[in-house]
Amino acid sequence: MNVWLFVFAIIVLALLGAPLFSIIGALALYGFSSADIDLSVVIIELYRIADSPPLIAIPLFTFAGYMLAESQSPKRLVNLAQAMFGWMPGGLAIVVLITCAFFTAFTGASGVTIVALGGLLYPILIKEQYPEQFSLGLVTASGSIGLLFPPSLPIILYALIAAVSIDQLFVAGFLPGVILLGILSVYSVQTGIKHHVPKIAFTLRNLGMAAKEAAWELPLPFIVIGGIYGGAFTATEAAAVTAFYVFIVEVLIYKDLKIRTDVPRVMQESMLLVGAIMAILGTAFGLTNYLIDQQVPQRLFELVREHIDSKIAFLLILNGFLIIVGMMMDIFSAIIVVVPLILPIAREFGVDPVHLGIIFLTNLEIGYMTPPVGLNLFLSGLRFRKPILTITRAVLIFIVLELLALLLITYIPGLSLWPVEVLGTR
Amino acid sequence: MKLLQKFDTLLNKAEGGLLILLLTVMILLAFVQVVLRNAFSSGILWADILLRHLVLWIGFLGAALAASSDRHISIDALTRFLPERLKRGVNVLSYLFAAFICFLFFRAALTFIGNEMLDGSTVYAEIPSWYAEIIIPIGFGLLFIHFLIRAILSGHDALTRGEPR
Repeated sequence: MNVWLFVFAIIVLALLGAPLFSIIGALALYGFSSADIDLSVVIIELYRIADSPPLIAIPLFTFAGYMLAESQSPKRLVNLAQAMFGWMPGGLAIVVLITCAFFTAFTGASGVTIVALGGLLYPILIKEQYPEQFSLGLVTASGSIGLLFPPSLPIILYALIAAVSIDQLFVAGFLPGVILLGILSVYSVQTGIKHHVPKIAFTLRNLGMAAKEAAWELPLPFIVIGGIYGGAFTATEAAAVTAFYVFIVEVLIYKDLKIRTDVPRVMQESMLLVGAIMAILGTAFGLTNYLIDQQVPQRLFELVREHIDSKIAFLLILNGFLIIVGMMMDIFSAIIVVVPLILPIAREFGVDPVHLGIIFLTNLEIGYMTPPVGLNLFLSGLRFRKPILTITRAVLIFIVLELLALLLITYIPGLSLWPVEVLGTR
Repeated sequence: MKLLQKFDTLLNKAEGGLLILLLTVMILLAFVQVVLRNAFSSGILWADILLRHLVLWIGFLGAALAASSDRHISIDALTRFLPERLKRGVNVLSYLFAAFICFLFFRAALTFIGNEMLDGSTVYAEIPSWYAEIIIPIGFGLLFIHFLIRAILSGHDALTRGEPR
């Protein structure tokens, strides 16, 4: 069969919604069979899933994230954050940003944040007299914020695909993540002041009560962040401790989830996502191997080189390209499929793989809510029963603000790389 | 059609049961391993190998379940705008394609297992590698079956204008 005809048919099938792993698998099979290589090679490549220790972190963190989302912990954390920040102008909006960042870091921006937290937070925002448009935009934009903080699954996945250290990426993501949160927080405070949103009086008693309520969940960020940043644990070990700890806390201490009914359901539900990721990962190992064998990244680089000659121009085009990718694809397949192609090119242009990872994730984060087809727009529309157009208008300002953060993150590599150097993370 | 749906559900129950069992083992074993390593500077020798293979097994079982509940990752930016009936028609095509690809992978996996048996390689101590790898053909077999059933069921729906599943 003609190569281009085949590729065209595959693209049409992909756009018609055929599962991406079958699309990737088909390309790999076609490639190897046209090169007269026995097809069992795709299985040998797929079997690499059982050969990379960091992958163990993925089911464990996903399970922990789903357990948290299904329990009462979103409520407890919102209460706590409100007792802490509610007294500030725009305090509630900051509560939204922080709790959403926490949840996205744990559940990996798979839409869980909007569904689990958005529904809880949006009515509170409206009740506290935040403008409707601002509130909608905020909860929609918050659905993907926090990707840069540990233990975010997309970071783990990027590290794996790009063969860089997970711990380095976690350290590198910290400042950029804070900048993103910071810019949005400033805007939120300003909105709070402008609309004279009532503030909640700060009392130590409230804070104490909320902290006591959430006492068992408070150690979580320290296990993960302290464990990884402090060098006590590897990411995989942190995942093992987190999964076990969350199970004990939600099932035995808070008794939010019942061991006979809820736990098996959440286990199965969370592993559907893991299965979907593994299917793509497994087939993509084969395709990547074929593409590298055919020197596709090298040829792609030569093609790019003909038209672009500076690092800055390359980064600009990369940003645009990745936002489109993030809009069309979900974050996991985008990382698995696109990183192997981009990484060698970026390296030739002198972009550090760790820095590239942070750029990559920030872009995808924005792509998630980019009109017309960003996933978060639809999730939000469904969740809050608003037309997509209303949501789109509401997120525009947030997109602009995140683009600003993206420019800083992209063109000041030190934000990502300097902490890695100083801490000497390996 | 009802029988087919029942068969699919039954299969899902078995997959789900095994999945839950394996995930429980994984959570416990991974935790014990961390405790042993950090508190007693020791560890179970085979634990890491088992954990890595559990990822493979859990991945395939999760993928099989995801096929039944339509949770595989796909680009739905365009199909979202199709009218309901046309969408189901398009879905039949996608499911059939996925089933076909899974079948090809299933065949490749059988060849792979055959080679491993001939080699007589072991994964740990005396345990033959193919014991650990047998989930690959089984997984693709299950995926093939689920996608085929999905295709038949949604084809039936599209023709009879039944309620969407």
